[in-house]
Amino acid sequence: MTTELVDRKIYEREELATGTDAVAHAVRLADVDVFSAYPIRPYTGVMDRLAKFIADGKFDSEYIIADGEHSQFEIAKHASSVGARAFAGSSGTGWLYATEALAATATDRLPLVALVGNRALDDPGAFGVEHNDAMLVRDLGWLIVWASTAQEALDTTLIAYRVAEDPSVMMPCAVAIDGGYLTHSQHIVKIPTKEAVQKFLPPYNLGTRRMHPDNPVSIAPQINEDWGMEIRRQNWEAARRARGVIYRAYKEYNEVFHSSYANPFFEEFMMEDAEIALIGMGTVTSAAKAAVKLLREKGVKVGYVKLRWFRPFPAEELRESLSEVRAVGVIDRDFAHGGPDDGGVLFNDVRAALYHSSNRPQIVDFIGGLAGREISIEDVARMVRITANHKGEGELVTWIRVREGNGAGMERKGGD
Amino acid sequence: MSGSSRGTKSEAVSTAEMEKSVLRLEVNYRGIFQKSLAYRITNDLVYAAHSEGKTAFSNGRYSDDPQRNGVPCANFAFFSDALSEDDLEAVASASMDIDRANVVVVLDDTMVKGLEPWGHYGIRPINEKVIPGGTLLIVSRRKPEELIRHLEKKTFDYNIAILPGDQSFAGLWYYRDDATDVRTIAAVARVAPEIVGIHSVEEYVKKKYNDAAKVKSLQEAYDSVVVREVKQSEGIAWPHSKPKLPSWDSFDEGIVVKSVERGFTLGPRGQNRNPNFKRGTSKTQRPVIRFDTCIKCTLCWYDCPDECFDPTADGLYDVNYEYCTGCGRCAQVCPVDDCIVMVDDLNFEDNSSPWEMYKRDAEGYVKWLEEKKGKVRFMPSPVTGKGVRHTEIKAAVPFKQDGGN
Ligand code: SF4
Ligand code: SF4
Repeated sequence: MTTELVDRKIYEREELATGTDAVAHAVRLADVDVFSAYPIRPYTGVMDRLAKFIADGKFDSEYIIADGEHSQFEIAKHASSVGARAFAGSSGTGWLYATEALAATATDRLPLVALVGNRALDDPGAFGVEHNDAMLVRDLGWLIVWASTAQEALDTTLIAYRVAEDPSVMMPCAVAIDGGYLTHSQHIVKIPTKEAVQKFLPPYNLGTRRMHPDNPVSIAPQINEDWGMEIRRQNWEAARRARGVIYRAYKEYNEVFHSSYANPFFEEFMMEDAEIALIGMGTVTSAAKAAVKLLREKGVKVGYVKLRWFRPFPAEELRESLSEVRAVGVIDRDFAHGGPDDGGVLFNDVRAALYHSSNRPQIVDFIGGLAGREISIEDVARMVRITANHKGEGELVTWIRVREGNGAGMERKGGD
Repeated sequence: MSGSSRGTKSEAVSTAEMEKSVLRLEVNYRGIFQKSLAYRITNDLVYAAHSEGKTAFSNGRYSDDPQRNGVPCANFAFFSDALSEDDLEAVASASMDIDRANVVVVLDDTMVKGLEPWGHYGIRPINEKVIPGGTLLIVSRRKPEELIRHLEKKTFDYNIAILPGDQSFAGLWYYRDDATDVRTIAAVARVAPEIVGIHSVEEYVKKKYNDAAKVKSLQEAYDSVVVREVKQSEGIAWPHSKPKLPSWDSFDEGIVVKSVERGFTLGPRGQNRNPNFKRGTSKTQRPVIRFDTCIKCTLCWYDCPDECFDPTADGLYDVNYEYCTGCGRCAQVCPVDDCIVMVDDLNFEDNSSPWEMYKRDAEGYVKWLEEKKGKVRFMPSPVTGKGVRHTEIKAAVPFKQDGGN
């Protein structure tokens, strides 16, 4: 399985791995002390792999199976508070069941790293990807990053620990990967050596906050209203500081692993001299890049921005990247029913960022790929066409690849 | 984008004109035990002032809930004869606590030793919010001088008023009507007629209660209030640290507070305790101990819910009054007659170790202690559930020469 192509000082081997395999490798390499589990597709993939690492003597860690996701994330939170590097993960409705613990992990400023294998929320029970699950925590003080390849999932999980545990950040980080597409398909992934990872990732140090018999502390006591504002402000500042730490972390990662992450927040594909830009997150990237390449061959000046970091949101950097384009189309693999102009979550975040842009491009939204529906190269090409021709008035949202009828069924519904 | 707000000159406003007609009243009370009483007082004052055509409203301090037994709590009432309801609410009550009051009512005189509301670090003086010329109105059997010796010295003159009365038990579960509610309202009318006049109070009480005894208490209370000016030279340097509210960037992030360090040595203060929350201001009485008759049975030490007892090398149990909430449990479990007795906390100046005093001069300590105890044994309302109970004892247990050795 090994080839001459990898630097053996940095990489132990190449492996055909799924997204969840890649994350499991990262967890092993980060020497996670405690990881908590409750089975749910696609997190089960990580559980299986980590169990095997332990059984094979390749990984020394406390593997705790909980009675549900709420306990699972409470366990991880508490482990983190005693100074153990912790990991947990879930998806869809399981992630939502853990919400109370998720909120407290963030407000307690514990740098847990969690995998969200994006999955449609119940009901109806569906397994396909939708981004709403991870987005649930977008305003709670979680860092959220999307990876779109297995290699990126491995790299990003390691980087997530580096950023989350930075003393100036200390916030939990959700690594989101598209359920089904990334979690279950297999690609060649370079697996780093433990030594190289140790060079990049310092040990987890909670300092004086660490709960220990020799350092007795109370975490999260009841506070009065005359402390709450100050505590929220601290968290707000930490999220701002995280931007600088993310830059540093990717720079250090590039140095240790000879990788070539340029702008850490997003990847710009054929954005030089682009007049039209699409922006999206996750695995839609492959179709988007292919479509952009084909359209470029036909002379269409189009580019694609693959957003990685959703929190903190890189508004400044996006304004810069999109400063020359005439029109932007946002691909939302999520929904925000009844939101501003009925657009998706990503659409309205991007639009808010561009409000302060000097050229303020036209912006339209595409809702697609929900519950795991595919988004094809042709779909993306259609999005480019709509973005380019849109007048910026009227309906801003287009549903992609939804089955349309003649509207007869709507007559019963009433309304305007 | 910058996070700072861009202020302009035109934003600056003054509320001085609105403030002119605003009157603030604070009622300090023992949590749970006097909750219903405090609410009656502020609510009835609002109704009575409203009957005079004033704008008025009341509110309870949000941070006190859920209340703890005996832990100091506060209610507020606001009055104005010029402002609208909205304006009064905006100018007087936009904050969760108030910073000044024309009248500060105290329903339990032992609170003059300081307040430690449970959500704050530090001990606040009871007269903290009294404004120059304002009044500290205390329900007490004491003379003003006996209370002033516990009060923080202020930088201006103000008044102290005493409404003769006991600590009333008119609590959450059981309302024992001893007329403290209407008596206090009458006393407010006496010291601050600008809040509400006694005639309006009388009309209101007649209508609400239709009870001749209640109306009679009004007039009796109004006449019995003793008012005296407190000069800025009077009072003490505050012996406790007051609560501090730090800026967001000056305390550690992560909502973590230091817990009690493990540690124990024999002797006074030998048990490590939480330096940030002492709870001692919850007490109305303190246990005093006759070390000379103690049989070293351990029960006080074992049973104290707040772990206030410190075992000493000679097998006795010293008590740390800073942490004692005055629950009376130790006095109940002590098997020796009159060995632990609960005594009005206002009889004592400080929280120093009684065991050390006993070791210095055993006989002197017992003599001093028996004077403090007096001949009357006192049961406060929260314990009896029916108002204060006094029992007289004939003679103190004689000093036992070699006791406690
Ligand atoms: S009264 Fe006695 S039992 Fe109660 S807190 Fe004080 S010392 Fe402890
Ligand atoms: S309960 Fe009474 S007799 Fe027993 S140790 Fe305490 S003070 Fe002494």
